[in-house]
Amino acid sequence: MTVGLVRNKDLKAGVRRSAAAWPIGTLRYLVAAIFTGFCLFPFYVIVTTALKTETAIFAWPPVWNFKPTLQSFYNALFVFGGRSAISYLINSVIISAVSTFLAVVLGAMAAYGFARFSFAGKRHLAFWILSTRFAPPVAFIVPIYLMVQKAGMLDSHIALILIYTAMNLSLVIWILRGFFSEIPIEIEEAALVDGYSRLQIFWRVALPLVRPGIVSTAILSAIFSWNEFLYAMVLTQSKAATLPVYLAGFSNSMGLAWGEYMAVGTMAVLPILVFTFALQKHLVRGLTFGAVK
Amino acid sequence: MEPSRTDYFSLGEPKPDSMKLAVERRRATWLLIAPAFAVLLGLNLFPIVYALYISCHYWMLARPQPPRFAGLSNYQELFFDARFRNSVLVSLKFIVLAVGIEMLLGFGLAFVFNTRLPGMATLRKLTLLPSLVMPLVVGLVWFYMFNENFGIVNWFWVMLGGTRVPFLTQGALALLSIVATDVWQWTPFVMLVFFAALQALPEYVYEAARIDGLSGSQIFFRVTLPLLRPAILIVLIIRAVDALRSLELVFMMTKGGPAGDTEVLPWYLYTTGFMSLDLGYAAAMAVLMLALVTILSQLFVRQLESREVTP
Repeated sequence: MTVGLVRNKDLKAGVRRSAAAWPIGTLRYLVAAIFTGFCLFPFYVIVTTALKTETAIFAWPPVWNFKPTLQSFYNALFVFGGRSAISYLINSVIISAVSTFLAVVLGAMAAYGFARFSFAGKRHLAFWILSTRFAPPVAFIVPIYLMVQKAGMLDSHIALILIYTAMNLSLVIWILRGFFSEIPIEIEEAALVDGYSRLQIFWRVALPLVRPGIVSTAILSAIFSWNEFLYAMVLTQSKAATLPVYLAGFSNSMGLAWGEYMAVGTMAVLPILVFTFALQKHLVRGLTFGAVK
Repeated sequence: MEPSRTDYFSLGEPKPDSMKLAVERRRATWLLIAPAFAVLLGLNLFPIVYALYISCHYWMLARPQPPRFAGLSNYQELFFDARFRNSVLVSLKFIVLAVGIEMLLGFGLAFVFNTRLPGMATLRKLTLLPSLVMPLVVGLVWFYMFNENFGIVNWFWVMLGGTRVPFLTQGALALLSIVATDVWQWTPFVMLVFFAALQALPEYVYEAARIDGLSGSQIFFRVTLPLLRPAILIVLIIRAVDALRSLELVFMMTKGGPAGDTEVLPWYLYTTGFMSLDLGYAAAMAVLMLALVTILSQLFVRQLESREVTP
């Protein structure tokens, strides 16, 4: 396929072979290193604050050498005024996992439909779905709140799961549509001749071929659900409340429980970092909806 | 790229069976697309219509009286609401500053990283990390770092010879601190998009430009920049829309203060709906916001449409 050819390293432009020459190369390293340090520093602060004792957290000047303690993690998980982070953690895992599963299943089906079938109004439908990506949660929160309230689903897992599924569908559909149309069509034609039905082709032939796309979109969807704050804040109280709702409680702690909240913050962020790193090849493609690969 | 074929059913399809196959094909299309369509209908399209309906009512949450039809008076009120005007202005300032800085920094850095020097790829991959971090945690850690009494930003500042600054409680500084936080999270993403776009530029264009005797700056302004235009527009629109909706940083760091200096539109909408419990008024704001976002998303769609190969 042409895509493979363009990715060939020798065709890449803008790479100056003379770049290594002093001082440009050194300057590049310097700028790149400073920028990378700037990107990473707050992570260092999150983790070290979570590991500091209370006196070290409020110390001026900031303490760089300290004996790490897990007290804050212990407090956040097991003590902390009846507000253990564990149930929030479990809710976050359940809601992200189920909504991701639904978004990927429904999204992959629709993506295949868009990639391989033609029907009236397809173009409009596809671009309408794309435009739902831009729907700001805050503009939907009032009607959604009333809908959930009328359905008697306030503080329920299912409400957040459905909302997050809808939130991630446009992403899944658009990314996977790209992946599906990159499959050489001859493979599916051969399967058709072999007597597979369309749905069998989708399930047994096409889906396994876009596994990298599935994995990337699943990771992105899971992270977006995991991070979502506004719907969770408004629609849940305790039973279905997720980690962002826990973190939002910081405002009520009078700015004292830094260690505990950073500990929860660490737990909220570490899985994301691992997944972001796993995703790197498809991150830009995912976040720009395949507009930039 | 040659247009990829979207429909493989015209090929190798046995003619006598075509009626049966056409039925199967239509049923398959329907089965594949309907579930996702239904979810989006119920949770995207319907809420928009419902928001319009709510916005035309006096609709107080947790009041015994039923909502009362109000015509366009909520919109009328918005027009004269100084707080609303302020929030639109603050949002605008935030978007222009944050997205502007992110675009410029990201653009420049993409060129810095666009080299084959050893180790650069590793550094570039590390800069990915802020992009997907939970915004609330970003707000939490920068809230801590900006603290007046023990924050590390103040420590750096004092080291450089300044005196302690109340970053988050002093007028214009509060908004700038939130801008800085947003810049931290999103510059890497912008940079990576530009980097990917640079990598995709074909070498032969540059060879042709050199053969034509263009100088370095001419190549940049007449070749590179025009070729990057789609990427610039795409990342600009994505960032603008996302900056417009963001309220986590404000929630965590300033709660709209001091004196409304960081009260962005989403934050005003949220507090109107769920602290003042005035749902009708909040819905009117939501409708205006949606109109704005629709315009922006249409620009994005145009961009993508023009590059679409398949219909």
